[in-house]
Amino acid sequence: MDKEEEAPQIPRRTRRSSTSSWASTSNDVSSVKVNSLEPQTINDLLVGGEPVSLDDLLSNFPGRNSQIREIVHLLGPLNTPMLPLFVYGGASTGKTSIILQLFRHLNRPLVYSSCRTCYNPRILFESILNQLHLHRRSAANGYSNAKRCERPSDFVNFLREALTNAINNLKEKSEKLMSSKTMRGGIGNMIYLVFDNFQLVREWDKSSTILPLLFNLYDMLKMPEVGLIFISNSSPDTFYSNMGYVEPIPVYFPDYVEADIRKILLRNQANPKLYSSFLDVSLRPFFRITRQINELSTAFKPLYEKYCEPLSDKSIVPNEDMKRRLFSHIMLHVSSSLNEIFKVSSLPLSKVESSKETTQKGTPRKLEHCEEVAKLDFHMSTSAKYLLISAFLASRNPATLDASLFDSKGGSDNRKRKRKPSEKVPEKKESLEEELLMKGPGSFPLERLLAIFQCIVSVADDPSDEEEQNGFGLGVEGACGDLMSDVLLQLSSLCNAKFIFKGRSCPIEGSTRYRSSISEDLALKVARSLKFPLSSYLYKRT
Amino acid sequence: MEMKRENHKGKALNLLRSRVCDPKFAFKALYNSPESNYSKLKFMISSSVTEACNNSILLLGPRGSGKISVLELVIRDLLDEYPDSISVIRLSGLLHGDDISAFKEIARQLCMEHQLLFSKSASFDDNSQFMVAMLKECGLAHKTVIFVLDEFDLFAQGKQRLLYSLLDAMQSVTSQAVVVGISCRLDADQLLEKRVRSRFSHRKLLFMPPSMEDSQSLLVHMLTIPVDSSFPRDYAIEFNRKVQNIVEDKRFKETFSNYLNFDSSVKHLLKFLFCAISHMDLKTGFLSLENFKTAFSSINRQPKLECLRNSSILELYILVCMKRLEVKEKSFCNFNSVMKEYKSIHDSFQTSDYYDRNVCLRAFEHLINRELICFADNRGHSLSVEYRPVKLLISSAELNQGLRAYHSCPAILQKLMDREG
Amino acid sequence: MAPSSSPIVTDSLDPSTPTETLDNDLQPFFVLHKPSSRRKDRSSTGQGKQRKRNELSSPQNTKKQEGSVNEECDYHLFKPLQIEAFNSVWSRIESTIKDVLRDLNSSAFKDIQRWILECFNAARLHGEPNITEATRSFPILSNATPGQLSAALVITRNIEFVDDILTFEELGHFLKSHGCHVAKLSSVDFSMKNGIAGCLKALLREFPLGEIDSADISILASWYREQDNNNKPLVLIISDLERCCGSVLTEFVLMLSEWVVKLPVILIIGVATTVDALRNALPSCALQCLCSSKFMIGTPDERMDTIVEAVLVKHSTTFNIGHKVALFLRNYFINQDGTLTSFIRALKLACLLHFSMEPVSLIHGHMLAEDQKDWISALSPEILLKYMDEFPSYDRSQIASQAGKSIAQGLSDLITEKKLWSTAVLCLCEAGKYSKVRLLDLFCEVLNPDLYPHRDSVCHIRNEKDQGLSSTNGHSQQYSSVQTGGLIRQIVRKVRDLPTGALGQLIKRWEKLTADISEIHDKLKTFQSSVRCEDRRSPRKSSKDISKRYGSKASLDADNELTMLNLQAVAFIDCLVRNYMRPIECMPFHEISCFKNVEKLQVVLIGDPRRRIQADLLDSHKILRCSCCNKTGNALLPSRQDSSILYSLAQEHGDLINLHDWFQSFRTILHQTNKRKPKSKQSPQPKKRKDTAGSGDQNEASIQARFCRAVTEMQITGLLRMPSKRRPDFVQRVAFGL
Repeated sequence: MDKEEEAPQIPRRTRRSSTSSWASTSNDVSSVKVNSLEPQTINDLLVGGEPVSLDDLLSNFPGRNSQIREIVHLLGPLNTPMLPLFVYGGASTGKTSIILQLFRHLNRPLVYSSCRTCYNPRILFESILNQLHLHRRSAANGYSNAKRCERPSDFVNFLREALTNAINNLKEKSEKLMSSKTMRGGIGNMIYLVFDNFQLVREWDKSSTILPLLFNLYDMLKMPEVGLIFISNSSPDTFYSNMGYVEPIPVYFPDYVEADIRKILLRNQANPKLYSSFLDVSLRPFFRITRQINELSTAFKPLYEKYCEPLSDKSIVPNEDMKRRLFSHIMLHVSSSLNEIFKVSSLPLSKVESSKETTQKGTPRKLEHCEEVAKLDFHMSTSAKYLLISAFLASRNPATLDASLFDSKGGSDNRKRKRKPSEKVPEKKESLEEELLMKGPGSFPLERLLAIFQCIVSVADDPSDEEEQNGFGLGVEGACGDLMSDVLLQLSSLCNAKFIFKGRSCPIEGSTRYRSSISEDLALKVARSLKFPLSSYLYKRT
Repeated sequence: MEMKRENHKGKALNLLRSRVCDPKFAFKALYNSPESNYSKLKFMISSSVTEACNNSILLLGPRGSGKISVLELVIRDLLDEYPDSISVIRLSGLLHGDDISAFKEIARQLCMEHQLLFSKSASFDDNSQFMVAMLKECGLAHKTVIFVLDEFDLFAQGKQRLLYSLLDAMQSVTSQAVVVGISCRLDADQLLEKRVRSRFSHRKLLFMPPSMEDSQSLLVHMLTIPVDSSFPRDYAIEFNRKVQNIVEDKRFKETFSNYLNFDSSVKHLLKFLFCAISHMDLKTGFLSLENFKTAFSSINRQPKLECLRNSSILELYILVCMKRLEVKEKSFCNFNSVMKEYKSIHDSFQTSDYYDRNVCLRAFEHLINRELICFADNRGHSLSVEYRPVKLLISSAELNQGLRAYHSCPAILQKLMDREG
Repeated sequence: MAPSSSPIVTDSLDPSTPTETLDNDLQPFFVLHKPSSRRKDRSSTGQGKQRKRNELSSPQNTKKQEGSVNEECDYHLFKPLQIEAFNSVWSRIESTIKDVLRDLNSSAFKDIQRWILECFNAARLHGEPNITEATRSFPILSNATPGQLSAALVITRNIEFVDDILTFEELGHFLKSHGCHVAKLSSVDFSMKNGIAGCLKALLREFPLGEIDSADISILASWYREQDNNNKPLVLIISDLERCCGSVLTEFVLMLSEWVVKLPVILIIGVATTVDALRNALPSCALQCLCSSKFMIGTPDERMDTIVEAVLVKHSTTFNIGHKVALFLRNYFINQDGTLTSFIRALKLACLLHFSMEPVSLIHGHMLAEDQKDWISALSPEILLKYMDEFPSYDRSQIASQAGKSIAQGLSDLITEKKLWSTAVLCLCEAGKYSKVRLLDLFCEVLNPDLYPHRDSVCHIRNEKDQGLSSTNGHSQQYSSVQTGGLIRQIVRKVRDLPTGALGQLIKRWEKLTADISEIHDKLKTFQSSVRCEDRRSPRKSSKDISKRYGSKASLDADNELTMLNLQAVAFIDCLVRNYMRPIECMPFHEISCFKNVEKLQVVLIGDPRRRIQADLLDSHKILRCSCCNKTGNALLPSRQDSSILYSLAQEHGDLINLHDWFQSFRTILHQTNKRKPKSKQSPQPKKRKDTAGSGDQNEASIQARFCRAVTEMQITGLLRMPSKRRPDFVQRVAFGL
């Protein structure tokens, strides 16, 4: 409980005295239960973990030899200054982990902050300062920051001060080490600031000031003991701001080539032989689609299970003909799963009537496809359905054709009228389809939507009545009169379901334009559930 | 013995690195001639210090041409000469672009200079009045205050109250202050309002990147290690000789020249040197031509081509489709039109890679992340991705080159591109 | 039982309390849906008097009679009792609904909870980072590929989100009670405006972290690792995916996946429509951070059926609705807004109206609260008798029972009959499950009084035919018989072709259903026994008619066995239909518990404001019954209100109105004033324009002013849209709702 009164003073103390006092107390504090917070020492800036040799590192990251060596060169030996680095490369090319592992190997202090977690300047600043002040947010201090700073100017001042303290701290430490001749030389006097996910900073609303600030930080601080490392997804040339700056030194991580990916996937596998035979089959086709390791691994996980299905024990070393059998077994799965990018597994224990795994598109097999199209698998009120369809029509057909599609009163005689568009089609189709491809679904005012809605409802009434299996007037009230009654409510709920997008302004004022965003087959499903002849109201599209 | 060799190699490396990382070293070497900016600047400031008058100077020049470093050098020397009659206030337009924080910062530094207590809560007016008062005090105490305004053009944005009140104070109050503006915009003084400009004495120093010869001599200067007690004599001599050889080498000359061709500023040169040095082999302990070559290749990259080399076959397909659409003078294209093109290609050539729409969409998003393509406008977020117009960020030449460089690139793609010409 | 001393209090408070709770649960319901129904609801709960009044004006004669009766006996005796009765009944119904819904979801909840545990343990298997690691700024180093967020997609299959608010709250409570840290976020936290900061703030607010100025997920991580919080799974419920802003959600997911090792969050995402919604909301980079598995919870239809079964069928004795009302409710559910919430609300309204209008409803109010005496004391039997006599069903019942029974007798009969009825319906529904007949439809059908007579008669014919059990004409009959009832016919047909196994199950379930209703149970038993002896007796005959029915002679025994059983089942159903399925409206004394007044419900439920406004504008004179307009009917008089004049003028234009023409016609109309000044002068209304007095020197300016004001009024009411830049001289009618 001494934490309580100790915690508030932490920021006020000067760095040096506090650490020394803590360092003295730390060993008896450490005897307390594991997840009680020992106060941090400068060592907490190290990545920690047991030391790794450079060779292990190189072997751990296949295909990253040159990059690792280059970075080691650029970081240089202990206590040598360095210019800012800019490490970039595509997603999941091992940038972050390699940097961290390298620091673990070199055993030098670093201050890491990911611009994704720190999603705005203030949080970024404060997290950096927290780390430099060896300040850990906890219930004891009410999760408060070591320093509160929002302005860049304050940040630079605080940073300079904190850095000097930390560096002095380090210097003492290393002197101690020098005096006591311990091998594996100390952690040095350098402090490295690492900014991960740096490309995100461009999207920040203050990016125009923050980017130059961070890029110029090195020149601004004029501290040779500080090293800056930026890690980014996108190349330096995408960072040009209006005022420019001296670029940091680029280090490039290319995407893995097939062989590397193979090694990586094999890295921790129970049965590498089997898995490699699996990769022989499946890696190449997938590799043509994507080269991102995480996407590949997520795609392979279920596929490999399939691959192993016929096998009794997963530990056997496959011989040729077994490989052949497995190959023939897996082939169709490969081709099918090539085209699925997101799968939702529905647990066997939950009683779900749908198929085991639903892919994005209808699964390629015919019968499932048709039945999937057949039924609409969520509940909508009838008027909502009609509204949705009319919105779809309004988005799809040009307004000029409404007249020919529906006569003003939406009377029953547009059985013959609806022939018209299909005659009009040939000359118009090309241009129409073009602009449809271009602009996507068109937008429309509320009035048009309601007009179409009225027509549709009045037309579709009689059919919809027949469809009601029980002829006892259950459907009679389905007449447009009742459906019309609270259309705006339906509209709002459709907007909420993201089926209809709506521009910003009040519907009464009328300037709002709506746009339906549903796919054609969803619209067809809805229409089918209403027994509504949607296709005859659409342009036949090739 | 061996141990000693090792660590004096290390020492050499360390020395060179710290030289490169400290720009002052380079510029000191560069500007020791009497007519250099260094001596001019030093003359101006020192005169205004000695004659106890106000002054304002603009240091203009491209980035990395050593404006600040030279100024720092000057200030350092002056501080040595007149230790207690100079106090320096450093501001940067990046940090103190807005007047409030600028005055606050000035007040803070003044307080630090004169061991006063600085109150964070002081208001804008407090700070500005405090500054004027301090200026007067310093004037009475015959103490020159040097205001260093880095990124001067950023101070010129907005209402320029800082500049105005600063210069105004310098005119009215019996103060002695020097305002040194530093900017990479050569038209920086054009940005000033009239009331400010009228109070600004238009001294400008123009900083130019050094000529090829200068930079080469600078390079030699930076890479030669002192032949004295610090290093074993033979090693030092050998080291310097190797450096000389490298510089004489004409392969190096051309690398060096076409490196400096697209940016000959000193900072850029230092970058180059840093890479080269850091690749120095500690076994031999000598620099080699290879180091410079690798440095050259690692510094100037072609990001777009790298991205192309990274992208998967499907992504290449999409790129080619977009290029074809572009050639066809389509007003703009979006994912759907690309898919149409993709399909038509597949229909006409029966390619083996014809994938589902979703997969293509994912590849499309990859391309956007790689910034090979981007959305043409920021409007229309309500539209889903496949409808938003996109545009290609690489030229067809680059694309051609990329396809050539791409191993296992489908022949059909190159054929299609060649057809486009 | 409330003493009559404080009737007002009970009146005002009691009914409001249940509504309050209901409303609190369903706030967004009112945001999305019509406030009118709520207001009406309020008012109708609020004061009974006004209700009585508009009841007077209601056309139906029966109602009028009893209304008059009501007038005679004093409210202060009745109202508290009525309210009392309503409360007791409704609270009972409400609780049953809640329970039913809960156990409908319970299985899904259990699945989810099990799944969460699996995920949690799986995550722990990979090893727990200690607090120092967890609070580091950089990710934990491991050679394994980056872990995925485990996400459960709870698919509600109902685009109306209202019904699911409760569901997700209950899910949250359920999980909390089963030892999880639960945080609930909704779409408002994922708004474009506040961005990622907003949703992180909301997230942290869910946990006891104290006041935090800059929301940052690392805080949550360190909280989770502190003082043993990490031995419970950390569940995060995002209740409505569709309404979230995609980009913010993407950011959020990416951030979580960056922290997934230190902070193993388990996502539960409510998806209203389909899984595709997720795909549309998130780009692929975010999608592949999710390892998602989906859970289904009951569709609105299922829930609806369970509610109908629980409330209207099983507890039919407490409260019931007539055929028309049922029909109306069904269509309202299917056609208008398919929300259970509104259905329940409607039900409540019906209940309330019933109790307020039907004085005798008190009786069964106490029939379930089994303490007769004080009620009887409360209202004297002779008054009761009075009402009874006015029941149209009473004399019918007289006929039914030759010896005039006592009222008490009648009531008890009613109850027993209803019990039988509900069991019969349940049996039918069981059978209906095979032909996917929805209980709601079935319910509407069996309530239909017009079907009842000939259904009955046909059954009679069929009856003596059936003695011979000649299945052929039995079937022909059956077709004719069930011609009438569409659904029953379907069911019967289905049952006829049921395979043996299914049929066996069906009968088992029938036994279970009828267990406590001895009367039907015995029937069932006899049928089953007769089946056995039947097929023992005549295999040949039946086989013959089988061959008659099906062309094939394949596997006779099986077939015949099967058909015999099926025939019995069919016969059983027939007998159910014949004997016990008398629609409630045909039972004596049904008025006590049965609500039939559709019109009132309709009015209360669907206030259709837009149409109302327009209609009223067209014939304003009907509302403000001024003498002048009364005479001339629909003709436009200058004395009429400006906006109504303008609107009726607007009828002549299309939905684009030329302002100038409009104004001109308006002016001409007003100028009639000068001709018939006297008329408009002596018009008694205070409603009249003040300027009619000085209408002699009525100048253009004032006319224009009035025109402008009227137009503005119409714009405010949302009937007009002001002229656009393109066509400055035209206003547009916002023409819908009529």
